[in-house]
Amino acid sequence: MLQARAVAKSYGRVRALDGVSFELAPGRVLAVVGANGAGKSTLIKSVVALIRFEGQILVDGIDVARNPKEARRRIGYLSQEAALHPDLTVAETAAFYAALRGLSPERARECVELVGLGSVPERRVAALSGGMRRRLALAVALLADPPLLVLDEPASGLDVAARVELRRLIADQRAAGKSVLLSTHWLEDVPHIADDVLVLDRGRAVFLGPAREFLEAPAVESRLYLRINGRSQEALELLRRTMPQRSVQRLGDWVVVPVRAPEKAAILHSLVDEGIPVSDVRVEEAPADDALRRLTEVDP
Amino acid sequence: MSSFLTLVRKEIRDAAQSRWLVGFALSFGLLVLLFARVQSGGDVFAEGFNRTTAGLLNLALLAVPLLALLLGAAAVATEREQGTLATLLSQPIGAGELLLAKYAGLTLALWAAVALGFGLGGLLLALVAPLGALDRYLVFVGLAAGLASASASIGVLLSVLLRTRLRAMAAAVLVWLVLTLFYELAAIAVALTISASGRTLLLASLLDPVEAARILGILAVEPNLEVLGPLGAYLATELGTGVTAGLLASALVAWVAAPLVVAVAVFRRQDV
Repeated sequence: MLQARAVAKSYGRVRALDGVSFELAPGRVLAVVGANGAGKSTLIKSVVALIRFEGQILVDGIDVARNPKEARRRIGYLSQEAALHPDLTVAETAAFYAALRGLSPERARECVELVGLGSVPERRVAALSGGMRRRLALAVALLADPPLLVLDEPASGLDVAARVELRRLIADQRAAGKSVLLSTHWLEDVPHIADDVLVLDRGRAVFLGPAREFLEAPAVESRLYLRINGRSQEALELLRRTMPQRSVQRLGDWVVVPVRAPEKAAILHSLVDEGIPVSDVRVEEAPADDALRRLTEVDP
Repeated sequence: MSSFLTLVRKEIRDAAQSRWLVGFALSFGLLVLLFARVQSGGDVFAEGFNRTTAGLLNLALLAVPLLALLLGAAAVATEREQGTLATLLSQPIGAGELLLAKYAGLTLALWAAVALGFGLGGLLLALVAPLGALDRYLVFVGLAAGLASASASIGVLLSVLLRTRLRAMAAAVLVWLVLTLFYELAAIAVALTISASGRTLLLASLLDPVEAARILGILAVEPNLEVLGPLGAYLATELGTGVTAGLLASALVAWVAAPLVVAVAVFRRQDV
């Protein structure tokens, strides 16, 4: 569905993208991750032909640089800013973009319902919260039921419930045989939404492979804080015994465990199985920029 | 409905909601009546369309280009600043198509404002004044619409080139000052310094859409070219009224087309 070959882009002397190549098959989700300035948005904008670039990008066999209009018929795009005209209402926005694609007002209403904004059709975009505006922009991206969804930081500004809903929506798209290319800062989301990961570092692709493989890299760790009243020492010893490779520490009332995304539930289970009650849990997400910087240093 | 027409309709809707445009239409309608009253020397509307047209000419030559330049300058830069340009261009529409649709919508809205402003005033005037010079008044309305089209085209070019709304609008005001004031002063200075030929004066008139519209407006009221001084003498001898009007009208059309062609060419090559 999507092929990128040696895509490069410079802004003056700055090389924003440097020979990035990848393929995205139908029914697959590819997450583009990287620190700020790594080139994620530049790559996304290149795919939608919003910027000029070197190399070649094909969407369903159509060269986006040569025939952007035709390529965009096959793309639903959500920009990082989720920018929509502030003076239009929710319903008017969806109807306007539906008309641009030659779609019916009924289809516009369907998509507004799909993203959970059916109860506020007359609300102006200017009066929407950031999360609601992002959902409306997502509705616009879904209007034409495109075979390729291109989402630039789709989870940005969404609350937890909306992020879960977004995961479900992406899963639905994948199940329907659609391809999804998305950029994200939320490394925790990657295993739940993506099949493959492309890691960018200063414009270069430093990792391209299955999402699970990427998440097993030691750099991608969150910190799990566990409050265990009265039995902290016991918990500490248990976790050090079961996870000898991890630097488990005690911090006041808290036991702190560096973990990878899929391990959190297993740790909680192991404590409960030993009869050690956990009174509170907090997660400090993997700081994306630091983790990715370490990852790219480890795996050049 | 095609995507082009959808975009045109959106642009007209935006313009209709713009207080600038509505304010212009209403205030110009009132000014038509005021001019008619003032120029009749207290005898309300006694002079009708002819004197009113002549009196309004200079005012229209100032107000119409300013409004059209500012609205044109805001057209693309505003979309770029609020990020909606990327959303629009991610749809299956070409960059040139988007720009032309925005220009078309804006120009239609400007025409509507001009027609409303002059039309309302003209209608009221027609109820109480002689209708003898109505045709000249209508030519003048058409001229104002043509000048609005040319100014909007220059404004859109500024909007594409300067990218931010503030810069584009500042440049629009600067261009307006040049076209309406500095250009004429510079032309007079050059004419006095090097005693320019009639051909040079004609060329100078063609290179400024406001000046071209001004001469066309004068011709609509007073077909005798001698009122234009040395330039008029040259035109009367060499070209005649008909050819002169055709030449100046062509210059206005060129001022509509040329900035727009450049704007489309630049816009197609720009990153969003």
